[in-house]
Amino acid sequence: MKAFDNIKLFFTRLTEGIIDEIKTIGTSYAIVLVLMGGIFVYGLLYNYMYAPNEVTNAPIAVVDKSKTPLSREIIQMLDATPELMVRTDALGYYEAQELMKRNEIVGIIYIPHQFETKIQRGEEALFTTYQTTTAFLYYLAIQKATSFVMLTINDQIRPDQLVFLPSKDVPAMAQAQSPVSVVGQALYNYTEGYGTYLIPAVLMVIIFQTLMMVIAMISGEEKETNHILKYKYALTSKSGIVQVILSKTMTYGLLYALFSFFLLGLMPVIFDLPNIGKTMDIVHLLIPYLLASSFFGLAASVFYTDSDAPILMIAFFSVGLIFLSGVSYPLELMPWYWRVAHFIFPAAPGTLAFVKINSMGAGISEISVEYITLWIQCIVYFILACWAYRYNIRKAVKKETLK
Amino acid sequence: MKENKQNPLLAVLKREIDRMISRRIYFGVTIILPLFCILFMATIFNNGQMENIPIGVVDMDGTATSRNIIRNVDAVPTMTVTKHFANPAEARLATQRKEIYGYMVIPSDFENRMMDGKSTTINYYYHYALLSVGSEILGAFENVLEPIALTPTIMKGASLGLTSDQIMSFIMPTNQRSNALFNPDLDYSVYLSNPFFFVFLQILVLLTTVYIVGSELKFHTAEDWLEKANGNMLIAIVGKFIPYTIIFSCIAIFGNYIMFGMLHIPFSCGFLPLNLSSVLLIIASQALALFVFAIFPVMGIIISIVSMIGSLGATLCGVTFPAPDMYPVIHGASYLLPIRHFVMINQNLLYGDYGFAYTWINWVVLILYIVPPLFLLSRLKRVIIEHKYEGIR
Repeated sequence: MKAFDNIKLFFTRLTEGIIDEIKTIGTSYAIVLVLMGGIFVYGLLYNYMYAPNEVTNAPIAVVDKSKTPLSREIIQMLDATPELMVRTDALGYYEAQELMKRNEIVGIIYIPHQFETKIQRGEEALFTTYQTTTAFLYYLAIQKATSFVMLTINDQIRPDQLVFLPSKDVPAMAQAQSPVSVVGQALYNYTEGYGTYLIPAVLMVIIFQTLMMVIAMISGEEKETNHILKYKYALTSKSGIVQVILSKTMTYGLLYALFSFFLLGLMPVIFDLPNIGKTMDIVHLLIPYLLASSFFGLAASVFYTDSDAPILMIAFFSVGLIFLSGVSYPLELMPWYWRVAHFIFPAAPGTLAFVKINSMGAGISEISVEYITLWIQCIVYFILACWAYRYNIRKAVKKETLK
Repeated sequence: MKENKQNPLLAVLKREIDRMISRRIYFGVTIILPLFCILFMATIFNNGQMENIPIGVVDMDGTATSRNIIRNVDAVPTMTVTKHFANPAEARLATQRKEIYGYMVIPSDFENRMMDGKSTTINYYYHYALLSVGSEILGAFENVLEPIALTPTIMKGASLGLTSDQIMSFIMPTNQRSNALFNPDLDYSVYLSNPFFFVFLQILVLLTTVYIVGSELKFHTAEDWLEKANGNMLIAIVGKFIPYTIIFSCIAIFGNYIMFGMLHIPFSCGFLPLNLSSVLLIIASQALALFVFAIFPVMGIIISIVSMIGSLGATLCGVTFPAPDMYPVIHGASYLLPIRHFVMINQNLLYGDYGFAYTWINWVVLILYIVPPLFLLSRLKRVIIEHKYEGIR
């Protein structure tokens, strides 16, 4: 019967702990604000900010020294590409440069004086593009559009160029269509856009960062006001500290199951983000992700002294987590110590695994590395969290007795 | 309120320095974390070049020609062939596992068909769920495979006795030369290290500013603070902020030195304007944080709002996705953040150093950030004296 009583006590305290934790969260403006602002406003705002998704109609200037029908055709074609918009073709190079300095255009295309003449002479005609590198997307847009225009123009005027070949070779060359074609295909990002690439990763980091902030605010507050003494019972038995950690983690898990549904389940549907993954795989991933994050946050509470100071240590690094996840810059190219760091913060493997499932349609076996990493993190951070909380409580008891 | 004999500004300064020494958190957020940011942004891109990105190859032809193509692809610095697959399905799985960032498929009978003049296709696939890597792979594949597509035509021409000039001007009557201005190698550290370090730093400045003012109210020391300043809110604020302005400025200047001096990120403008704009960013961020805090002086709430405002800087500074391409509302809102103006100034300095004439508006705006909080000083003082917002959490 004693064992039964113990189990009963364990669960009673667990439930009490959960109810208590929900009360703490619900009665603090600051925490509710982090949750509402961080999850809902941020989730929607990020989608809205990146909704244009691609660089379209990037303004450029064409310096047309040639002023021939061909150059005008090139200008029209450039203007017609979705990527570019020709702001002006009436200026000289220096005036165009001036526009570039004023950020009014992002590239200059220079068509030289003898452009068409050279073609008519059977020589190679060269035009030059100058692109800004202030944003790589501009560079890519200009590159894509000009290559397309160049290839189209080439196909169009190639038959005329036959006259420059010796007449005996004309029939042979006219038929010398290359049998080899090269076709490139973008994988896993059907719009080929920037938003559809970045937002899934951002959503996952939002989950991690807001959870870190909430845990920091709660555990910081507990330490600051010495309310942590309500867990004094945990020092008497071994299971006590486990109860504390579990009740807290279960509360966060419950809340974040809802938030994850909003961020990872609804957002992709509403905003047409890629979501080709299986829902169950995402759920499977979220279990260790939320557990590991929660334990990680609780373990970090050794460093917290009040409810506000921890925010200083957490908030600045959101963008860093995106980098560490390996979504924006390949992990393979980072120095070894940042690759190690990738395995320390739950957000890094979690984000990568989510992008794999959600955007690339991977299953659990394809994310095995991240998945196992997250479970190992769960174990390690659970032990650290227990240790951290015991330390915190002991310290509070000591402080109390000193009074 | 009794008059202090000591100069009030000095008194506040001395008090602030005492406070800074008394708690480790100040040391952490003003020195350790910013140094960590410098280290992070300076090293994360390694040498800044996307080189040796692992890719896969599916060679279903298995002839001298296909092996030659693979060798050509492998020789491109951007990528390395790390895996060979028997069929496209395996390659695709490896891509899902992110073992490779792209792959090429050479169809069976490729050589034979090419020799016979029958049409055949080389397909390549690049990873666009990881867009920045994918676009590098795309560019590299285009560069190396397009000439291969032309090879049969060139060989045909050569067999007819045409010169290579004649052949090329037939195949490519027009050609383009492209110049990526001021960052010809498209180096990621040149592109991102500097702006993103300051994105991190401005978040820290915003948060620290809210914390140092907010903690006075939270821990009921604000009256003592005001007393030291002889009841002058302006002196109280200036005296409180100066130590942080100095420390953060030193960090920023040190960061500039690491990035431009040690990592050799190219710049032609000299250190003075770079450092000056960095210091202005710090002051403007402090002013913005003070302004937001003074509107609703409850630290617990404002500190999380400010952390969100700061994090938005990463997007709204316009370095990754260009701000003018966002919706007009967002584009307009981006100018509310000091980091946006700072980035515009710095990009102008680093990419071409076109001169003050093109960025003076941004400089002026950064300075003007100081003005709005001045109007709220009396409000802040009233809040301190009347203990108005205490007890809100």
